[in-house]
Amino acid sequence: MIDLDRRYGIWSGRVWGLIANLLANALALYGLVGFLRDGTHVVPLVLGVLVTAACILLLAKPNR
Amino acid sequence: MSDRDEVRRYPLAEALPPEKLEAEAEELDRLGHASPCSKLLGYLKLGGPGFLGAATTLGAGTLTAAMLSGAAFGYKTLWMIWLSMGLGMFMMAASARFTCRGGFRVIIEQNRYHGLIVGSLMTGLIGTAAVAVIFNFGQYSIGTHLIESLAPMLGFEFPRQVNWIFFMAVTSYLTLSYGRGKRGIAIVETFMKLAIGIMLVCFGICLALVGVDWRALVHGAFVPWLPSGVEGVDLFVASSAAAIGVIDWVLFQYAGLARGWGRKHETLARVDIVFGLFLPFVLINFIVMAVFAGTLHKVGITPETAPELAASLAPLLGPTWSAVLFYIAFLAVPISTTVGLGIAGAIAIHEALGWTPDTRSWRWKICALLPQIGFLAVWYSRPVWLVIAIAAFLSLATNIVGWSFYLLLNDRRLLGEDRCKSYLWNLGIMLQITLLNCVAIVYVLNRIGWWIR
Repeated sequence: MIDLDRRYGIWSGRVWGLIANLLANALALYGLVGFLRDGTHVVPLVLGVLVTAACILLLAKPNR
Repeated sequence: MSDRDEVRRYPLAEALPPEKLEAEAEELDRLGHASPCSKLLGYLKLGGPGFLGAATTLGAGTLTAAMLSGAAFGYKTLWMIWLSMGLGMFMMAASARFTCRGGFRVIIEQNRYHGLIVGSLMTGLIGTAAVAVIFNFGQYSIGTHLIESLAPMLGFEFPRQVNWIFFMAVTSYLTLSYGRGKRGIAIVETFMKLAIGIMLVCFGICLALVGVDWRALVHGAFVPWLPSGVEGVDLFVASSAAAIGVIDWVLFQYAGLARGWGRKHETLARVDIVFGLFLPFVLINFIVMAVFAGTLHKVGITPETAPELAASLAPLLGPTWSAVLFYIAFLAVPISTTVGLGIAGAIAIHEALGWTPDTRSWRWKICALLPQIGFLAVWYSRPVWLVIAIAAFLSLATNIVGWSFYLLLNDRRLLGEDRCKSYLWNLGIMLQITLLNCVAIVYVLNRIGWWIR
């Protein structure tokens, strides 16, 4: 299991998680634009939403 | 060093007499064992920073958005108000934790743990001080318009080219009162409570005159609805993120420190956040939206600016006195917001630049009165290049400041055993951070032309 409060390289797991969440948010919105425009980009939309949900649920874990 | 001494390291709290702080701590102990009703009344009496936050965040822009939504969509978007404000509560609770348990000054700790760019620049200078200056152009614009429209109803003329002096005198006096010991802080916080009371009562009377479609109101408050397509995404992202921002987090944190809040005050701080900030914000927005849903929406009029909205509403309210009440309530909005913006700006500039806040100094007074430059809005609109620059930086910076608050709240080195240990609390903060991320991303997609128009 990932230790959110351990350093991995230059940042802690929480910081990397926040960055991953931002990228997933961008992917979801990019997919949403395509989906709303012409019904395409379903894969990035679904992938972005799933990774966003995973990041939120993971990063909500407090530092015990 | 005791907990109380730790908290009183913030210079604005040093003007507070120790015996008053001890008496307040004893009162909090007594309230801890009181009945729920007495407890609530006692906490409301002792609260203040929450009302200061509500009066600041309930600005011309927020009220204009509520009016436009009511006029355009009726009751249908009521649910977004409590949802967006509700999500903001988790971050406000983090500010309360920093004040009451941490006893530290958040911008200084951000500088130490996350660097000057995140602390002084993004949080202090851009997220708070620059926002205070830019947003105040809107307060002056609407405030002076409202005084100009109100005066003839009271039997005299008071054009905005002159009445800005009155607006500036009132708001400057209140802004400079803050920090002059316990009495000065009490004057400002009492004024903010009074302003919110005026808004609630006067807007409430207008709503009673207009009438409420209760079924539509309940439906709009609890059944999510959005315009179809990208307009709905835009509306949801903007509304969700706009309710509370960096300036509110910073103002609440430092206003608590200035009140000498310590460990015993955390429950009071949370009650203050809910009853001083959340409820007034939601209720006033609900009432204003309902007034416009019951009037302009019914007749299909959707003006685009606040003065046009107010002018279109006035004849639909019936007797002249009801329009006077509406204008008085609306006028309380820019006045109280200007005061809050001045205080927040002065605090942030001092923290960002490492200056010791001394409310008697010229440096403090100049910083506190910096947003008063908004009086130029009487003749000119906001400088567009500055608005674009600030909006860009703010859109891209607010989520980073949110990240910083989340990381500080979970940092064992900073808060020790007082760090966040609640999954639910972190979950709420992460949801708000995700919305703030979306604001930044939508901004970038817009700029590179990938967002649908």
